[in-house]
Amino acid sequence: MKERITKNLYKWFDERIHFDDIIKFAAKKYVPVHSHSIWYYFGGVTLFLFIIQVVTGILLLLYYKGSEDLAFESIQFIMTKVEFGWLIRSIHSWSANLMVLAAFIHMFSVYFTKAYRKPREITWVTGMLMLFLTLGFGFSGYLLPWNELAFFATKVGTDIAGVIPVIGKPIVEFLRGGEDVTGATLSRFFGFHVAIMPGIFVVLLGIHLILVQRQGMSEPMELENQQANARKTMPFFPNFVLRDLLLWLIVLNILAILAVLFPWELGVKADPFAPAPAGIKPEWYFMFMFQTLKYIPAKVLFIDGEILGIFIFSVAGFLWTLVPFWDRKTMRGEKNKLINYLGIFAVMYIILFSILGWVL
Amino acid sequence: MVINKITLLIFMTGLLSSLLIAQKKVDQCYNCHQSNGDRQAELFKKDVHKSKGVTCADCHGGDATKADMDDGMNKNAGFIGVPKGDAKSEVCGRCHNSSTEMAKFNSTIKSGQLEDLKKSSHGKLTIKGNERIAQCTTCHNSHGIVAVKNQASPVHALNVVKTCSKCHSDKSLIKQYNPSLPTDQFENYQTSIHGKLNSKGDANTAECASCHGSHLILPAKDVKSKVYFSNLPKVCSQCHSDVSLMQKYKIPTDQFEKYSHGVHGVASLKKGDAAAPSCNDCHGNHGAAPPGLESISKVCGTCHALSADLFSSSPHKKAFDDKKIPECETCHGNHEIVTATNQLIGTTPDAVCIKCHTQSENTKGYYAAAQMRKLLDSLTTDEKDAIRLVEEAEQKGMEVSEPKFKLRDVRQARLELRTIIHAFNQEKFAEAASKGFALTSEIKAEATSAVDQYYFRRLGLILATLIISLISVALYIYIRRLDKKKT
Amino acid sequence: MVYKQERRDFLKNILGGGAVALAAVILYPIISYLKPPKVKEVQVSSVKVGKVNEIPNESGTFFKFGNKPGILIRTASGEFRAFEATCTHLDCTVQFKQDMGVIWCACHNGKYDLNGRNISGPPPRPLNPFKVIIQGEDVFVSKMS
Repeated sequence: MKERITKNLYKWFDERIHFDDIIKFAAKKYVPVHSHSIWYYFGGVTLFLFIIQVVTGILLLLYYKGSEDLAFESIQFIMTKVEFGWLIRSIHSWSANLMVLAAFIHMFSVYFTKAYRKPREITWVTGMLMLFLTLGFGFSGYLLPWNELAFFATKVGTDIAGVIPVIGKPIVEFLRGGEDVTGATLSRFFGFHVAIMPGIFVVLLGIHLILVQRQGMSEPMELENQQANARKTMPFFPNFVLRDLLLWLIVLNILAILAVLFPWELGVKADPFAPAPAGIKPEWYFMFMFQTLKYIPAKVLFIDGEILGIFIFSVAGFLWTLVPFWDRKTMRGEKNKLINYLGIFAVMYIILFSILGWVL
Repeated sequence: MVINKITLLIFMTGLLSSLLIAQKKVDQCYNCHQSNGDRQAELFKKDVHKSKGVTCADCHGGDATKADMDDGMNKNAGFIGVPKGDAKSEVCGRCHNSSTEMAKFNSTIKSGQLEDLKKSSHGKLTIKGNERIAQCTTCHNSHGIVAVKNQASPVHALNVVKTCSKCHSDKSLIKQYNPSLPTDQFENYQTSIHGKLNSKGDANTAECASCHGSHLILPAKDVKSKVYFSNLPKVCSQCHSDVSLMQKYKIPTDQFEKYSHGVHGVASLKKGDAAAPSCNDCHGNHGAAPPGLESISKVCGTCHALSADLFSSSPHKKAFDDKKIPECETCHGNHEIVTATNQLIGTTPDAVCIKCHTQSENTKGYYAAAQMRKLLDSLTTDEKDAIRLVEEAEQKGMEVSEPKFKLRDVRQARLELRTIIHAFNQEKFAEAASKGFALTSEIKAEATSAVDQYYFRRLGLILATLIISLISVALYIYIRRLDKKKT
Repeated sequence: MVYKQERRDFLKNILGGGAVALAAVILYPIISYLKPPKVKEVQVSSVKVGKVNEIPNESGTFFKFGNKPGILIRTASGEFRAFEATCTHLDCTVQFKQDMGVIWCACHNGKYDLNGRNISGPPPRPLNPFKVIIQGEDVFVSKMS
């Protein structure tokens, strides 16, 4: 009886959707198995955390009020009056940070295995754009509770954009919705955070995922030259998918523990007229840039130190995004040690300066 | 020319004392005016200035060495006649504002009186905008000025009250300058202990200048005024803390010391609370006297009205009156009134109740006191427990703004309970106490549930983690099997 | 073989049951979250105290402003005034006394006039005022800026 119902139900859907095609497609898909297979999972983890962000974000939207008067109070309300509001908010904050971390790991793993090489240039570029957007999500979301730290971090963060000659001032005004960080900035960041950026992100994510499915997983270059029968693989479905699922469960578990045992604090409501409190620090993923700007002398030759710093980071980010297009050696199938050295330098640099920023 | 013997004597002493000064001036003006029987010259005869060698011309201008009137009173020689308006005081100030000038006369009195006068209320208010309302001469007279210590001086301790009251008791005069300023100071003063002694010829008692100062007299609301609320205790203590001075009157000298340690002194002197009572608020200003037995509760009641009302309708009122013991003071003290603690009431050794109520005497009050203390103590402990619970919940990161808000009400209930003690009515007291207990139990329940919620969250996490871990393990085993099957 | 089959079924049961439990664990907080909370949403920079025509003349209405009590006074002439309802003496909550026409503190009989000035009893300072804003029918109270 029970089985018959299930069977009929399956048949009903199968007649309309044709599951066989999908199953056939999935069954034919194989994931390479090798010593670097572990890195394949970080894309999935990032995706999982993004899904959590979307779900918890939508839930928060039900009670959050994006205005200067009420932002702080509405989050206080969510955390105290709404059942499990404290949990949803805490998960959203923790998941955001883990997502940035997972995205960085994913990006560097792709970089070092040179998986960006032909034919996956578009996947790489969309991925890099999503990474930038993720940082944007973090920056804009940080302000939304309208607490003291966020207020001043946003002030400093947007100030930095202002030093760029000519376009700096218009950019700051665009970001802040005026000359200063005010309620207008909050409304604006709220709009960016929940509408504009998610819209763009979903489009990029769609392209990214379709391409991954179409092209399959990239194999490390050394394996490409091996005999086809010497290569180990595993079926995408169910073996790889279940492994993905297992990791997601573990991440969920970690997230739950972090959110309950280390609830995200709300801090003190921002007062635009109060003096900046000591120890204003940006979110950890901006720390290395913030710290670099601190170390650059005020004037390097005739150029302003801050401008130089911003210029270097912009160019570096730009070149990084375009690495599949200028890394000619890899394109030809040769080993490119320079790319590895650059990558190691970048990783070391980010780690070192982040630590310096937190310690000092 | 008739030279009076006394004048000669004064002249001789003046001469002797002026030996240090370059030369003795000849005062031809005085010589003539005196011989003419001029009243001013007659007065000047006794003037301390004359004895110091000040001549008429020193104030009126002209040349005192010339016997001829035209020469002596020549405008070209600087003769100004009778100084008018503010010039009256400027003339005095020429010497009295300058320590070097004063030194020339070998005087030991301080200088700067005119500067002080200019800064004072008397110097700032003017008549028709061109003359300050009090000049030096208003109080000191113009001719025949003698030292303050001299009984003949209008500003001598025994005369100054009359001198000040010449204006300050003149209602129509005072009204012109400050309609809200009372004019009854003199009458009040006469009723005060200070005034009574003063009129009996005791120059040691406080007169106007003792409290208000002499030249730099400022309104009581001016922070620099000697009688500004926070300066006043120090001013009173100038005399009242002086053991040798007070010995004669057989009164204690520790009032200031005590006051400054009491709640009122701390509020007024340390916190600058203008509403806190200073000496005068209980003892009166000009009519200063200790409040009588009957009036203590009225005095305290001007601020502590509720306690006073409750007390006067309490059974203690009659008992205190019969026994002739002062009302508030008996339990709370007078100058050093400290914040009442729970220990004040009850039957413990430091409680005040046992002064009259013991197990064998006035027993009803004894047991009532014990009962009231018990309730008060348990409300205090209950409040502390509630605070502790709320704090615990707060430290656990729980939201307790609601019970925290209610903690204010408990505090209020406890304060009200402390006030209601003054009714000395067990029923009323128990009723007020039960209000507080209801609140504390409510808060405790809320705080406890917040703490419970904290543990509920932990429990939920454990449950969720267990489920996730279980599936993870099962999935892991499943994947392992799947892999095995394939190979 | 049968034994293995049993074990497999057992594992599948765990997975299935676990999935259901997991769904419950995830959905329970979400559904609870979606349930509208009992308390009205907070607005702290200004508080709506009531409607103009519902507040009688010569009355005092309490309201909660942040974590402090406030009192909205309507005078005999219909004018609105609002103060922090905290006595400046010892922080008791003050109330409006219609018979005396004052704001009164029960703890020590402190009295304030309807402008918040301390007029008798122990209070050392006037009450802290709030700003009253009337928008249409509604009376709002906000911080003095």
